[in-house]
Amino acid sequence: MYLEGEGDAMTKPGNRFFAPENPLSNSLAPIKDELAVQIQHLNFAFGKGDLCKQVLFDISLNLPKGQIVILTGPSGSGKTTLISLIGALRTVREGSLRVMGQELADMRNADRVRVRQSIGFIFQSHNLFESLTARQNVEMAVELLGRFKSKRDQAEVILTQLGLADRMDHKPQALSGGQKQRVAIARALVNHPPLILADEPTAALDKQTSREVVTLMQTLTREQNCTVLMVTHDNRILDVADRIINLVDGQLESDTNPDAFINSHTYKNSKHDDAKMFIM
Amino acid sequence: MPFPKRTPLAWLNLVHDRLRFIISLGGVAFAVLLMFVFTGFMNALYDSQIQLLKQLNGEIIIINRLKSNMVLPASFARRRLYQALAFEGVEAAYALYTSDANWKNPETKRTRPVRILAFNLADPVLPLPDVEANLKRLQLPNTALIDTQARAEVGPTTAGIVTELADREIRIVGTFTLGTDFASGNGNLIMSDQNFLRYFADRGPEEDTRSFATVDVGLLKVSPNVDIDALVATLSDRLPQDVSILPKEGPAGFVQRERTYWQENTNIGFVFSLLTLMGFGVGVILVYQILYTDVADHWAEYATLKAMGYSNQFLLGIVLQEALILSALGFLPGFCISNLLYALAGGATGLTFQMTIARVGMLYATTFIMCLISGAIAVRKVQTADPADVFGG
Ligand SMILES: Nc1ncnc2c1ncn2[C@@H]1O[C@H](COP(=O)(O)OP(=O)(O)O)[C@@H](O)[C@H]1O
Ligand SMILES: [Mg+2]
Repeated sequence: MYLEGEGDAMTKPGNRFFAPENPLSNSLAPIKDELAVQIQHLNFAFGKGDLCKQVLFDISLNLPKGQIVILTGPSGSGKTTLISLIGALRTVREGSLRVMGQELADMRNADRVRVRQSIGFIFQSHNLFESLTARQNVEMAVELLGRFKSKRDQAEVILTQLGLADRMDHKPQALSGGQKQRVAIARALVNHPPLILADEPTAALDKQTSREVVTLMQTLTREQNCTVLMVTHDNRILDVADRIINLVDGQLESDTNPDAFINSHTYKNSKHDDAKMFIM
Repeated sequence: MPFPKRTPLAWLNLVHDRLRFIISLGGVAFAVLLMFVFTGFMNALYDSQIQLLKQLNGEIIIINRLKSNMVLPASFARRRLYQALAFEGVEAAYALYTSDANWKNPETKRTRPVRILAFNLADPVLPLPDVEANLKRLQLPNTALIDTQARAEVGPTTAGIVTELADREIRIVGTFTLGTDFASGNGNLIMSDQNFLRYFADRGPEEDTRSFATVDVGLLKVSPNVDIDALVATLSDRLPQDVSILPKEGPAGFVQRERTYWQENTNIGFVFSLLTLMGFGVGVILVYQILYTDVADHWAEYATLKAMGYSNQFLLGIVLQEALILSALGFLPGFCISNLLYALAGGATGLTFQMTIARVGMLYATTFIMCLISGAIAVRKVQTADPADVFGG
């Protein structure tokens, strides 16, 4: 059932990986190494005592390497929380969460910092330093791994791939919204991280730019055989995904391929002629 | 191509907004200026007390045992100088006579107290070039040299002035440059011991009469290679106990003793240290504001760096680098303007404003610490940047 990391096989529609019904059986699977992310019985709550508010309930989920997964669901359902747990930005206290084989539960802060270095983050806002050029912003990511000699070349290659060859020495101020987000993507991809986490990366972009940015992301991550987990509300870009996970009130509600997802959601809301309903 | 280095994020963040950067440097420079001005006044007040003493030409000083400072008018018997001369290693003994007297400002005709320094013109008591050049003229009766650094109340300080000193005519035949101190009143005059007698030997029933029998400060010239401390000990032991014998230099010396006296017996140190501390505080607040604004403005970016895998220490390093850049670049203009102010203040007050390397180094270290403290406070803010906050905008 697992794909043996074949990039082209992953692109074939209909060939999907689904989390097993019984996560325990999965932990025994010999091909565990093929999992970029392995989540078992994950619970998460904000606050303590009376103010304690549980946000994620018994999440079990596996993301095999090379898959592009879209995480969707109503606002406040816990998508951002889940993605920040996977990104080692919050501490996992209940359940198990493995990223590239490393258990994040109760991990020391210094180790979490190291795990983050193997993850590419893309946020809703680009978060580029206004004082740095596009190239320097990307180079900051390369420097993290101490590759000072190759940083310039690496930054140039990735920015060129993202169509920013003539924008490399511009500061964010001189770039359009789509260009800035592409720089942010370049920064996330430049180190070829095995895992990309994106939280509504196209929310600030118009329709056409969103499409461009997502297509570029798809092409590059496929080339790098990179696992992508992307939160989005944007139904126009669902087709880039191999798999769509729907999170409702902190629980996994469905886990299907895009076609099935659209069908099921339009079926439920038959008076709508497209898949827009699942946005909310 | 030069070896590619780390992106100088701290520097680029600081200079990104040129105007803000210049205002920031202005703020640091202002704090530096405040500290320079206040420590400058403090040091000038102390330095001024000892500038005459430092010029005196002798390795060992003899004074009246009771003369704890230069303001106190206590003289000792000149015999002591001759007694000291008898000791092995003492080559020469000179007498310096001092007295206060009223000087009439030739322009306003108002009288002001000044101090007269007098000595035998054959003795090199005050080997200032201007003094040595004018020795011949000082041999004439009723003549003196005037200090160009005297206070404005004294009037013009140029050769050729004829006015009154202690109700007697005096002619200024030249100038020298020394400066005022607490004992000098509004300024110093130099004259020969012969003239000194003319003015002060007989000043009427209310004033002390002066003669060559008593000396205010005695100077001993010592032969080369003589152990001064040992000689001081011998002299102290063997001369009558009505005089104090001190080496001129050194931590227990005459010059340092005068400085210590004023440090311990005035509030100068306290007041100016407090003012300097205020300047320091102003600097800490200003730099903190600058760094805090930078952190606040780049909150999402710094959190993103953390999410990317940059450690807290890296971000602390950025803030501290910014602090150091501000301290270095803000110090320079502060230092330059302070130099200018020292010259102006020195001219206006007659005090000696010295910009010594040690003091500049000291104030740079203070500025550095000032920025470091601000950096340390601002850094705590960065540490709280939660990388999880960047998600979800
Ligand atoms: N830092 C936080 N502290 C407390 N509650 C939070 C925090 N962040 C999110 N929440 C709560 O957790 C729930 C899930 O939020 P989130 O993961 O941001 O949802 P989504 O990204 O799906 O919109 C929401 O009810 C939200 O109010
Ligand atoms: Mg969210």
